[in-house]
Amino acid sequence: MALFARKDRLPIPPKDAEKKTTVCQYCNVGCGYDVYKWPVGKDGGPKPSENALGIDFRKQQVALQGQAIIENMHTVVMDKDGKQYNVLVLPSKASPINRGNYSIRGGTNAQATYAPSKPTRNRLHYPLLRVGDQFQPISWDEAIDIIARVVKGVKDRWGPDSIAMKVHDHGGSGSGFEDNWAVGKFFFVAVGTRMLSIHNRPAYNSEVWGQRERGAHELNYSYEDARLADTIVLWGANSFETASVFYTEHMLPNLQGATIGEKKKIYRRGEPAEAARMIVVDPRRTASVTVAEDVAPGRVLHLRPNLGTDYVLANAIARAIYEKGWHDEEFIKKRTDLNTFEDYKKKSLMLDVPYEEFMRRVERLTGVSKRDIEKAAEWIAKPKRGGYRRRTLIIYEKGVIWGYKNYDTIASIAQIAALTGNYGKPGTGCGRQGGHQEGYVRPHSRSRAKLVGSIYAGGPPPNIDEYVKWDLRSKVYFVSGTDPYLSTPNAQEYKKRIHERTLALTKFLSEYAAAAGEPAGSEERAKRILEGLGKTDGLFLVVINMYQIETARDAHIVLPAAGWGETPQTSINCNSRLLRIYDKFMDPPGDAKPDWWIWGRIATRMKELYEAEGNYKEAKYCSGMDWKDAAEVFEDGASEFPDNRVSKADEAKLPAECYKGVTHDLLRKLGQKGIQTPVRIDPRTGKPVGTKRRYTYKFGTPDGKWKWYGTDPWDPDPKKFYPPQITKYFEHGNEKRFPFWFTNGRTQIFWQTGYHDRYLPEKVYTIPMPYIEMNYRDAERLGIKSGDIVEVYNMEGNCVAVVYVNDSPPPGTVYGIMYRFHESLNHLTTSYTDPKTTIPWYKASRVGIRKLSGKLEHIAKYTSFLPINDFK
Amino acid sequence: MLKAGLSRRTFIGGSVVLGALLTNFRFAKAFVAPSLPYRRKKIANIRELRTHRPIMFNYPDENSPAILVKIGRPAIGGIGPDKDIVAFSALCTHQGCPIQYSRGRFICKCHYSMFDPAKNGQTYQGHASEWLPQIRLRLDRKGNIYAEAIEGLVWGRVINLLPK
Ligand code: SF4
Ligand code: FES
Repeated sequence: MALFARKDRLPIPPKDAEKKTTVCQYCNVGCGYDVYKWPVGKDGGPKPSENALGIDFRKQQVALQGQAIIENMHTVVMDKDGKQYNVLVLPSKASPINRGNYSIRGGTNAQATYAPSKPTRNRLHYPLLRVGDQFQPISWDEAIDIIARVVKGVKDRWGPDSIAMKVHDHGGSGSGFEDNWAVGKFFFVAVGTRMLSIHNRPAYNSEVWGQRERGAHELNYSYEDARLADTIVLWGANSFETASVFYTEHMLPNLQGATIGEKKKIYRRGEPAEAARMIVVDPRRTASVTVAEDVAPGRVLHLRPNLGTDYVLANAIARAIYEKGWHDEEFIKKRTDLNTFEDYKKKSLMLDVPYEEFMRRVERLTGVSKRDIEKAAEWIAKPKRGGYRRRTLIIYEKGVIWGYKNYDTIASIAQIAALTGNYGKPGTGCGRQGGHQEGYVRPHSRSRAKLVGSIYAGGPPPNIDEYVKWDLRSKVYFVSGTDPYLSTPNAQEYKKRIHERTLALTKFLSEYAAAAGEPAGSEERAKRILEGLGKTDGLFLVVINMYQIETARDAHIVLPAAGWGETPQTSINCNSRLLRIYDKFMDPPGDAKPDWWIWGRIATRMKELYEAEGNYKEAKYCSGMDWKDAAEVFEDGASEFPDNRVSKADEAKLPAECYKGVTHDLLRKLGQKGIQTPVRIDPRTGKPVGTKRRYTYKFGTPDGKWKWYGTDPWDPDPKKFYPPQITKYFEHGNEKRFPFWFTNGRTQIFWQTGYHDRYLPEKVYTIPMPYIEMNYRDAERLGIKSGDIVEVYNMEGNCVAVVYVNDSPPPGTVYGIMYRFHESLNHLTTSYTDPKTTIPWYKASRVGIRKLSGKLEHIAKYTSFLPINDFK
Repeated sequence: MLKAGLSRRTFIGGSVVLGALLTNFRFAKAFVAPSLPYRRKKIANIRELRTHRPIMFNYPDENSPAILVKIGRPAIGGIGPDKDIVAFSALCTHQGCPIQYSRGRFICKCHYSMFDPAKNGQTYQGHASEWLPQIRLRLDRKGNIYAEAIEGLVWGRVINLLPK
């Protein structure tokens, strides 16, 4: 009867089971997990004295207090010793972040591990070389030799900028500090190219320069602040689904009033301590809104701005605060730069425009009423009884990061917090929620290519998607730890061009082989590749990943990377910058290797090739990457951070990730407790100390003061407000052909491109194909029902999706899952990027919708279409 | 169509994708539910059931609450003339809070997981990684409904039949 094999018992870990510390490989929250491992057949017993957990398994455990142990948390792995081991990956009750809680994604961490008897056997085992239209396994030595020769050859002949890349940049999953350091050293120092792009994006940039250039890093609060705040603002963040445990373990208790006791301990004497209020700014009625409404009716405010108008709305809330006199005069005077404040007042608050007229324009453009704007202003900033300042925590994420005018939007939101004194105090803060965890450390100080910031800091950075698509000076393209065929904006065109260019090289090599036979070894093969790159429009593509991802189908070489749990790694989470070790507890599949090892080997081979021809200068740039283990890479990375023997106040000057003085061994000792970055070396004790909350004393600018910024002027007429990539949809009959706004986002159910989830039966049933959500009113008009299959299309591309009808998107707007396993609704996003930052605007496009005749019976039968935002 | 007692293999055969996922799941087979000697237990008579009026019972023992409900739409594993009578463990698979049946689905108010009773207890929203364990039901000629076995691990246990 069950749709897939379920279990009704699990093996019990014996007292001597090996225990390791790790952290969930998935989202920004960074829930702690404990791993137990023991040989198959050596189980413990149900009595507390007979098992590693000390639990009495003869009794039913108590809800919430007990340790969660579910079917998905157990697996059997095989190590290189040829033996099978039971593995339990359990949400840690010792972790301050999740306290034993976990989400639908993290609960399957054990299932995502490799096993030859499970679907994860699809993991890459060996390096693969394309020959014609097939992939053939080759040895590491040959694969590395080909890549090193091609990179060197291209660089020598066409210069370092002929080598482009798109690589991982975050924490958790397969990267972390070690891999990010290695890949940085390879491209910044060994290669020295400027043609860099990261993660999902077309360029090498911060998504939040609008806040950083004000003097505050985006990760400045701590999870406790969500428990202590009077008001929590979620701006373009559907935290219930995308920061699940942060929302339910820390925000919900505050909304429920369960943290009032904690508040009383921290607040000033006499300061009112009540259950929190929540403001959600999101065009959709997300689960984050409706769960909060269920918990705290009357204390939730939902603002639904028109797509892309968030910076205007943020400035309007700030203006309302200023108008009512609820801003923090003292904070502004002491902690911020008063010169730039004038600019802010003029351009962002638009004080020259009378208040009523200003609000009329705002209402017209954003669609949000003056009444709601003023209510938001009140909830954020109106002082509490007794004149105490309201403590507001503002958390924003992709809804605005990937909005229109990335720089101005982020700056406007961050400035609300500065205007109201909401930095550096318990219950305050303003920063991003995060998508992934973080683990950024790169050799900026030694980089041979100058990296730029926003347009105000030497930028904007070049758009590498456009570069590899159209500029034939790009010859080699590395894609590592990311799957741009699904995740890059305007993905359909990107795929088409990469395919055409990689195929040009493949054809050249095939024709060569047809005439002269296959090359005799890696040196000759590399020579032919170099010749082909000179004679065709070709592009040499190297993909490094755990799986044969979508992008790999056009690769010339695919290298198998080790994943989570297969090598020790370190990352910080987003809500607290908590640094922990994600320890190794099993071997990688086949001959897969950690990313840092792969980059180190390519660089070291290049070094040998340069030495062989007597070019010791270039050889030197490629040296120092033959690391022995992950701990050594971690410590090598620490050399990039400045001297951190500084006072408490000077934490503001340290990079958010600074971990100098911390080692893998120390992290193993600290376990789930971890240490919050930036880490300082206490000048008195000489010991590393963490930073709970940032910017209590000063900001991260030369004079320690917040730098204000005046945003761009705007026109209340949407036709003049939006960029040409959107307004083209308003003209020439396009408004009729593409009558819907389209926006996109994530689901709680699976992680990112579903590189692991696509092998888990629950996920395959629950999200069987890409989906869109459509409002009841639109669905009725078009005769569309939940479970129907539609084609969504526009001038950028198309995608077929199944429909969920609910009241989440407003009428006239459809929402789609960004990508799902093999397919991508990113086909529909435009190529717009913010001219100030090169950050794309994923979140808005215009589309037409066509219902396909017929249904997919399997989906109709096995997938649930109940409304996911209705909790009543 | 989906009679209790039909073997899992026959049933899964209908789903090509998942059939393939399972064929090599060697170790899982060892503990594939139901793997334990569950006892049959009478829960109710079909005449007592009203659509959307859940009946609470305990299964497989008194510390394991469960819900029997006629959901008014055909369900995977449903029994009765309309194939809409189903039973599930009433402990949320996330952290063990009691779930409620409300407006055609199960909801847990601890962290807001929701499960679809027509779709094998599928978590269609929320934190619960594991679908709600479904209880195999049998209907006899007199209209008596029996619980026969439970498919999936009841929260708070490592073995559904608690060891001594
Ligand atoms: S909330 Fe995020 S970090 Fe926590 S278990 Fe879920 S996916 Fe993992
Ligand atoms: S216990 Fe049910 S959702 Fe957490």
